[in-house]
Parts: sequence; C-alpha cells; structure tokens
Amino acid sequence: MENRIIEKQNMDVFVNNLINSDAEVVGAKRKDGKYAFGKLADATELCLDYDLALYPPKSYLLPPKETLIKFELGEELEAEPVVEAERVILFGVHPYDIKAIELLDVAFSGTNPDINYLSRRAKVTIIGIDCLNPNPNAFCASLGTATTDTGFDLMLTDIGASYVVAIGSSEGEELLGKYAVTREATQSELVQRDEQRQKALAKYKVALSMSAEDLPELLDKSWDSPVFKEKSEKCLSCGSCVMVCPTCFCFDVQDDIALNLKQGERYRQWDGCMLVDFALVAGGENFRRDSETRFRHRMYRKGKYLWERYGKLGCVGCGRCASACLAEIASPAETFNTLKEERRQHD
Amino acid sequence: MKPRLGFFDFTGCEGCQLEVINFEIELVELLELVDIVNFREAMTEKGEDYEIAFIDGAITTESDISRIKEIREQAKIVVAMGACASLGGVNCLKNFRPMEENLKIVYGDCAGYYNTIPARPVSAVVPVEYELPGCPMNRYEFLKLAKALLLGKKFELPNYPVCVECKMVGNVCVFDKGGFCLGPVTRAGCSAICVTTGRHCWGCRGLVDDPNVNSEKEILQKHGLTVDDILNQFRIFNGYLEVSK
Ligand code: SF4
Ligand code: SF4
Ligand code: SF4
Ligand code: SF4
Ligand code: SF4
Repeated sequence: MENRIIEKQNMDVFVNNLINSDAEVVGAKRKDGKYAFGKLADATELCLDYDLALYPPKSYLLPPKETLIKFELGEELEAEPVVEAERVILFGVHPYDIKAIELLDVAFSGTNPDINYLSRRAKVTIIGIDCLNPNPNAFCASLGTATTDTGFDLMLTDIGASYVVAIGSSEGEELLGKYAVTREATQSELVQRDEQRQKALAKYKVALSMSAEDLPELLDKSWDSPVFKEKSEKCLSCGSCVMVCPTCFCFDVQDDIALNLKQGERYRQWDGCMLVDFALVAGGENFRRDSETRFRHRMYRKGKYLWERYGKLGCVGCGRCASACLAEIASPAETFNTLKEERRQHD
Repeated sequence: MKPRLGFFDFTGCEGCQLEVINFEIELVELLELVDIVNFREAMTEKGEDYEIAFIDGAITTESDISRIKEIREQAKIVVAMGACASLGGVNCLKNFRPMEENLKIVYGDCAGYYNTIPARPVSAVVPVEYELPGCPMNRYEFLKLAKALLLGKKFELPNYPVCVECKMVGNVCVFDKGGFCLGPVTRAGCSAICVTTGRHCWGCRGLVDDPNVNSEKEILQKHGLTVDDILNQFRIFNGYLEVSK
C-alpha cells in the first residue's frame, strides 16, 4: 500500500477542494457538546480528533427511512422502483466504522442483493482516520477493529505535524492527486504511525476478558445464564442501542397511500430487535415477547449469529450502545465478560 | 355513499379540531371522500346522522357523560383525538385537588352554580375504537387513520418509545445535555418534535403498551429528580394513569 504525507497546514485545502467538487462531503462536526456526522460547508467545521460520533455514518448508506417503490392502483397495478444515490465522501471515518460498513456490504450483497444499498455504496468514498482518542466505552482493541487495512479509499493517521495517508484504492489515489498537496512519506514517518497506533491501543478502558474468536462458543454455552434476565429488567425497550449501532441493519417495510387512494409508495424504515413488536408476526404471535429474550437475542446477534452467517462479528466495539443506553445495560463487552466469569466459576 | 363524519368538542382547547382545519389542501381532498355533517369549529349546520365521531377534549362534567353516551349510540366508530380525549391530558391535573376547591379557584363566589367531576379520557366512559394521542394530535396520523378507515385497512399506533424516532432524526439525548425526558416510556409518532426543537418529551402521546416505568423513574432519579418531581412530570399529560399516583 502506498503512503503519502499531507502536512497539517494543507489539510483544509484538501477538504475544501473536495467540498467544492461534485460530491457531498460528510464529516464529524460538533453538536451540543458531542460529535455527529453531517454535511460540511467548510473545512473548519470538520473535527478529525473526535473520539466517537453519536451516530455511525450508516445513514448515508441505509437512511432511517427511504422509499423503495412508487405505485399506482387502477385497472392494472403500476409499480416502479425508486433508487436514489448521491455522491458522498465520508471524511474521517474511524476504523471500527469502516469495519461495520464492510459487514453491511456483505449483508446487503449476499443472496438477495439490495439495489438501494448497493447503489448508494457505489457512490460513497471513504476517507478513514485512525482513532487516537478512544471513547471510554469503546473496546475495539479486543475485537481487532481499532485499525484496518481494508475498506477505505484513503486512511489518515495523525502523527503530529502531518498526516500519513495510506492509499487504499485508485479512486483514493486520484482524489489525492487532484485535490491535495502531498509528498512521499519517509520511513521514520511510517514508524511514527505505528507508534501512534500502538499508543492508542493502550488507551482503551474496556476490554473483553477473552479473545473475540471465543465468543460464539461462549454464547453457545450461555443460553440459560441469569445475566440476561438480570440486565433486561431495566430495559426500556427504547431501541436506542440498535438505532445508534453501526452494524445493525434491520428495517421494516410499509406501504403508504395518498389521499386520492390511488398513488402510493412502499418505504422502509429502521427497525430493531430490542423493540417490543419486532418479532410480532401475522396472527398476533410474538416470538420474543419479553425483554429478556430480546436482550439475549441482541447479544447473540452481536457475538454469534452474524459470525456464523458472515464470518464477521456483529459488533465492532464502538461503545455507542453503551453511551446511548439510559439504563446502562447495553454494552456487549460487559455482558460477554459476565458470561465468561460465569463459565469460569462453572468449569 | 360517502362515510359521514361528525366532530365533537368536550373539555379541551379545540387545538385538535384546528389541526384538522389547518389541513387546507388535504381537507379539500378528504371532503371528496367523506361528508362532514357536524363540526362546530368549522360550520354552522348540524347533522345527527354521522357514522364516525371524532371527539376532542376530556370528560369533565356530568353532562359530558350523557352527551358522549348519546354520541356513542349514534356512531359506529368513535375516535378520540388528542391527549385530552385519549388520555385525559392536562385536564387531569385538577384530579389531584378536591373538586370543590377547583370550582372555587375558577368560579369564586359563583362556584355553587357549576359542577365538575374528576377529568377522564373518553374511553373511561364509553368504548372507543381508535385513539390519536398527542397535544395536539398529529394531523398526519389523523390522515393515516382516515385512509385506513376508507380502505378498510388496519390502523395501529407505533408501539415503541419516542427514543426510536429521536435517534432516527439524529438528536443529542436530553439526558446527555443535563436534562431529563419522558421519551423512553412515551409512545412515538411525533418524530420526537419536542426534543428536536430543543426541549424534552413530556409524554403527550401517552405511554407505550408495556412501559418500563420503574426503570424510567430510576433513571430520572439518577439524573436529579425527586419522587415528587417525577410524579409532577408524569401528571402533565398522564395524570389519569396509575404511574402518576
Ligand atoms: S438495552 Fe438500553 S438502549 Fe437498548 S433497548 Fe434496552 S434500555 Fe434501550
Ligand atoms: S453493539 Fe454496541 S459496541 Fe457493538 S458495534 Fe453496536 S453500538 Fe458498537
Ligand atoms: S437483529 Fe437486532 S442487533 Fe440486529 S441488526 Fe437487527 S436490530 Fe441490530
Ligand atoms: S432525548 Fe428523550 S426521546 Fe430522545 S433519546 Fe433521549 S430520552 Fe429518548
Ligand atoms: S416529544 Fe413527547 S411531548 Fe413532544 S410531541 Fe412527542 S410525545 Fe408529545
């Protein structure tokens, strides 16, 4: 992988050049004392040293609500798919969020390719940045998601006076050549990058007490653990944990019709397994009617089911769920560690 | 023949009826599909042959009770519009004081000429087919119900808390800004409008079907509210419910 250097004083120029290109540039901005991704109007709005954006950049690939089909009722039903995709450059995405997008890519392209997702994805450019100030709830170091070698067009690392830029795709290389002032990286600068990454790894406050590969097996043996009931007693079924999660991709599909009772649309909207009616099916049966089974299901999704299905864990350790959960029960790391402890006492 | 609708106001601010009038374009479209035969806020003629009755306002006097029972007898479908009709709403604040005292505060020396009873939602007096909670009700939800009735489709309110919609629009949680909020137990359907506009959720859409009130109360306490503060918050719109007592 080729590496270049952008001097810090040249970063604003790069960002502003991108903003003036034909793409929408999205980055982490300040919002009510937190950080949130949003459209950039100027480079000065962009925060590159943020710890965690409240919401992942997922909504640029899977919006909270989107129209899938427009239809018209009549003698014959007319229906037309709606596929909307704009060029977006995500600027300053942390590795764990890139890993999450890699999971979404797999989930939305498998046996039933999702044209809406894939059309958006094809128009999204990802400029990553290493996370050097992890959020207190994050545990990426335990999941191998603190850094990434894949999934980006460009990857920045702050080494003090400048950024090292790893080039991950020809598109990234082109953007750099066209819009940025760069120079070759020296060997010592690459060593500095490694040191920065190492230092960041040591800053994580939450860690798994086992290796990530052991999670599916641990969960396999933990179905009857009391921890699910204990924790879920406080659960508000508010869905905050799944709404802020970069790897959650569930949605609900509904039809809406205009007042003329002829034209209508089919849309989808985020949904999540922590909501009471998520597993409600025709006939009124709800196969996860209590918060204990929903709570357990989410943990199994994160640590076992997706692993078995896609070879990737359903959690990248960003810590957003733990930060968002008012009942303070949503962190998968906490539950996994409790389960591990139970096993230890059992064995 | 078009379905015939009637609109009836009880004790409330009539804001929910205004929501219907405020439609303008949609109202014209709606009138192609239905006949409105009774609507004091918008017209003078009064028809008594309505099939669907839309009620706004809470039940707060003895005469309200007999009037709503008559409406119920005539209508095939009764819809409670807004927090007052569907929850009791702010009217129930008076339930925490003796009725005589309420009369004195409002009517002074003339108190003896009036009667008042503890406020209650329509459903506490007669069966109600549909409720459109919110203060005021969400007029798009009103349209959704109208369309569902016209098409013979099922109509359901969201059964998840305001937090879901609050997250969908990308808000910073009020609790993270040092405030507090009833969103985690309140029924969604308003796009968390109060949080989005810089305030918090007061619960005007009522509670979700199975709210974890204990957990919510614990959270509010952890964020500095006393037990009294918490009850007062719930009482603003949900005074009729057990959680506020
Ligand atoms: S775990 Fe927490 S955030 Fe998730 S639904 Fe329950 S209370 Fe809400
Ligand atoms: S489960 Fe929680 S920590 Fe894991 S990816 Fe989702 S939000 Fe992040
Ligand atoms: S099953 Fe649950 S954990 Fe998941 S992707 Fe869906 S909402 Fe997220
Ligand atoms: S501000 Fe209120 S509604 Fe929004 S997430 Fe926080 S508690 Fe829920
Ligand atoms: S945020 Fe709460 S108080 Fe505001 S409209 Fe919605 S339900 Fe009512």
